[in-house]
Amino acid sequence: MKRHVAVSGVVAVVLSAGLTLVAQTQTQKPYAAPKTADGQPDISGFWSSNTYVPLERPNNVTKEFYTPDEAEAAIKRAAERDAEQTEPGTTADVHYDFTQFGLDRSQSVYSRSLRTSLIVDPPTGKMPPVTAEGQKRAQDRAAARKAAGGQYDRVENMPIGSRCIIMGGSGPPLMNAGYNSNYHIVQSKDSVMILTEMIHDVRIIPLDNRPAPPPSVRQWMGVSRGRWEGNTLVVETTNFNGKNPFRGASENLKVIERFTRDAPDRINYTFTIEDPSTWERPWTAEAPLTRTVGPIFEFACHESNYGVANILAGARADEKRAAEAAAKKTGSN
Amino acid sequence: MRTTLLTAAAVGFALTLANAPARAHHAFAAEFDVNKPLKLTGALVKWEMVNPHSWFHVDVKGPDGKVSTWKIEGGSPNQLIRMGVTKQTVPIGTELIIDAYQAKDGTTKAVGRDFVLPDGKRLFLGGSAANVGVPPAGK
Repeated sequence: MKRHVAVSGVVAVVLSAGLTLVAQTQTQKPYAAPKTADGQPDISGFWSSNTYVPLERPNNVTKEFYTPDEAEAAIKRAAERDAEQTEPGTTADVHYDFTQFGLDRSQSVYSRSLRTSLIVDPPTGKMPPVTAEGQKRAQDRAAARKAAGGQYDRVENMPIGSRCIIMGGSGPPLMNAGYNSNYHIVQSKDSVMILTEMIHDVRIIPLDNRPAPPPSVRQWMGVSRGRWEGNTLVVETTNFNGKNPFRGASENLKVIERFTRDAPDRINYTFTIEDPSTWERPWTAEAPLTRTVGPIFEFACHESNYGVANILAGARADEKRAAEAAAKKTGSN
Repeated sequence: MRTTLLTAAAVGFALTLANAPARAHHAFAAEFDVNKPLKLTGALVKWEMVNPHSWFHVDVKGPDGKVSTWKIEGGSPNQLIRMGVTKQTVPIGTELIIDAYQAKDGTTKAVGRDFVLPDGKRLFLGGSAANVGVPPAGK
């Protein structure tokens, strides 16, 4: 497993550099972000949501922070899991090699943190308990999926990401998408634009205190409204269409994001999830964005998504083979 | 130019869907057949540098001497470009040895697990490109 060793070596270098940065930050005066021409804190540019820190704290971990050695070991384990598919003859191997194609996280920037989970509240590092209504909704959604037939019976049954409608990372909230977890933020006096690389999803966030649209207006990524509170950009998003539920949320989900540039190469990005019909209490995660380099390349997903046709053709071929095998068995009886 | 098509023996395996990378754009095991591993050797004749996945077209000569064009699904061009893998650095005509799994529908399509050049070097840089995308210090 030479590759694993190489990857972990690189990780160690990057991590120790990050810890040095943290140590320096603690002993120096607070970082003041440069200002735009309009006097706003400058959060523009190219950023990545890459991280090895899981959203929820692993079951066997009880503390909020790892030691530097433990954090390094956790990243090494995660990097090794990314390379797991290189075991020939396994289902997981039926893929191009992430470590070769540059799609694994170790080959991009990623936030460096000793945190054991992105979730900082509740203190358990886990999502709060799901309400009875939320549990029933999850059951209803599962029943509806089952009633619709197999996942590859028809294109409408395939996952939303596979159909290039919306992919992980677009948010809100902005989350590590596994690869191409890159964003371009552009600021103006009255609005902020966040371009997500994956499927080039865009949010244009007005800052002029206009109200959210009526509840009848529903969008895949919701409708966002922003404001500056001191050096922090606060963005509240409502009006989701509920077809891409974040962690089982309802369409009444409200996401409150906070962007604070607290280092030259870092935006301290946090988000709070409010959905009383799904979780017993709001919950908050800290998922810093790390500065990366541009440009963001086009990700025109649907036009060349040959995978949909190939998957459906493969499923029909599987069915044909199964039918032929069944007929053969019947004939031989 | 000697090209070969080798069909490897099907390998016994346990279904380990839980280990499949959850972040993949789609489930590759639904599109390609784990029981049909291939080793394809041939020259690149076309590279569809498209998202969500690249398609490398390679002319492969079968055991009967007949040449067929295989379409090999590979990584998102966005990351490949960042790593310096472009149509200039991997020109048409490049000889490739590809470990692959054939499409379930039995056509000449496959997913390319590994791409290796005739001299044994991997086509893509892998872990050595770990600092791609890291901005310069300061600012």
